[in-house]
Amino acid sequence: MNIQVLYGTETGNAEMLAEDIVAELEADHAVAAVNLADFDPSEFDTGTLYLMVCSTYGDGELPASAQPFAEKMAAGKPDLTGVHFGIFGMGDREYDETFNGGPATLAALMTAAGATQLGERIAHDASGAEMAEDLAFPWAEDIVAMAGDALGQAA
Amino acid sequence: MTGQIAIIGAGPSGCFLAQALLKAQPDLRVDLIDRLPVPYGLVRYGVAADHQGTKGVTRQFARLFERQGARFFGNVSIGSDVGLEDLRGAYDAVVLAAGLSADRRLEIPGSDLPGVHGAGKLTRALYEHPEAEALPELGARPLIVGNGNVAIDLLRLLAKSPEELEGSDLGQGPTDWLAASGIEEITITGRSPAAAAKFDTVMIKELGKLADVSIRVMDAGESDDPDAQKKLAALDALEGGAGARRITFRFGLTPVAVEGTDRATAVRFATAQGEETLACTSVLTAIGFDTPGDLPRDALLREERDGGLAEGLYATGWFRRGPRGTIPDNRADAGALAERILGALSPDPGKVGAGILAGLDEITDYDGWCRIDSAETANPPPGRCRAKITTREGMLGLARQEDTQ
Repeated sequence: MNIQVLYGTETGNAEMLAEDIVAELEADHAVAAVNLADFDPSEFDTGTLYLMVCSTYGDGELPASAQPFAEKMAAGKPDLTGVHFGIFGMGDREYDETFNGGPATLAALMTAAGATQLGERIAHDASGAEMAEDLAFPWAEDIVAMAGDALGQAA
Repeated sequence: MTGQIAIIGAGPSGCFLAQALLKAQPDLRVDLIDRLPVPYGLVRYGVAADHQGTKGVTRQFARLFERQGARFFGNVSIGSDVGLEDLRGAYDAVVLAAGLSADRRLEIPGSDLPGVHGAGKLTRALYEHPEAEALPELGARPLIVGNGNVAIDLLRLLAKSPEELEGSDLGQGPTDWLAASGIEEITITGRSPAAAAKFDTVMIKELGKLADVSIRVMDAGESDDPDAQKKLAALDALEGGAGARRITFRFGLTPVAVEGTDRATAVRFATAQGEETLACTSVLTAIGFDTPGDLPRDALLREERDGGLAEGLYATGWFRRGPRGTIPDNRADAGALAERILGALSPDPGKVGAGILAGLDEITDYDGWCRIDSAETANPPPGRCRAKITTREGMLGLARQEDTQ
């Protein structure tokens, strides 16, 4: 399966996780990590699964590297019907009120443009005991399995 | 090997630069040198003990040493152990990422009275920096001068009940000190109106979770600016509570003098209306940071342009920019500087690199740090995620154990 791991990062933690997910999946899939800052919404393709990894920054806002993407989405208003994505959020429950505000915004941007979200939006808590990858790897496997059906090709 | 680069300071800006350099050129030799036996600088000793999520960035930095080939040379002081010029002679490029660890002084009459404490000095003591002074007596009514994020961190820590420090890495001594502090009221003052205050809104919102406080916000004023309105709304939402510790936010107060005969008992402020004096039992200054003077920062930065100081000499992070900007701001700087350094690099195979440090005793390496880290996290006390080794000797003893295994 063609998979792109799109990451929105501020401190680099989401970028590291995106690279870890690539390493985890690359034995079985054509997979690459792409910074959302370097991704244009016109590149979205219905034959590719998009795994989005996104943090939250400041007062519940999108992290710096996702902001240009949000602006391009707003300006280009692409029709993402048939595009499938899953989304993994990295947050910090010390900041309860705005916990995972960034990925929530990103998921809303995608679905508003017609894209289909696979699975639940997962939220990792940096102040919790679990490592992000321990949540993210099973999540990625689950989404890939769901996409195998949704994209109509062998996983 | 395609060049050797020494980074002075293994805090977040140094680590982010090393990361950017090694990402761009994986076969580069990158050595991080720190005056402490342990890496991560501000993340370990400046980021608040109850902000463990923020400290998670060290997982990225660990990869630098574990996978990307960076090396750590701890317990090496520039100046006394090795000269900056000697280091420049040994490496193809040297980057100053030493941060700013000294408190900017409140330059008003009375500011050297006993009972006036810099926020950096106090947080180093709270977070058990090996060179920290003893935790001082603050009395029942400390007053904080400054309301940036450092001031808010301090306010939050001082206002927390013991239960609210669960999951932190605040040590036993500081925990006991806080529990016995007897603080009844904390006043936090800023020069600017609330709309222009230096704190981040999210830091104010976090105060809304404090369990045992009552908060009063005086004269916050109004604003037409949307960002300022968020700040004001967050402050407004804090008002009230019936907890034991009273917190008062004050704005538009410019400190004129610290009053007291043998110790600080009040601060006199200039206000829009004239003057106002606020009584207190101690004064905590959180008005920025400065160089501790171990490197001649002003002279080094005189010719600075985009991080370049001289041929093969660069600066990054707070050391270059001053005490502004968060940890990820330094990451953004690192990418541009790495490109610049690599563009100008002309490796000289004759350079000795870390060989210049060969004669030094008691250098710690990354494996030594891992032994310290394991010892700190193996059996933390209940409600804590880490028990820091608090002395240089203790750290060196653990780091040295490789020889006996």
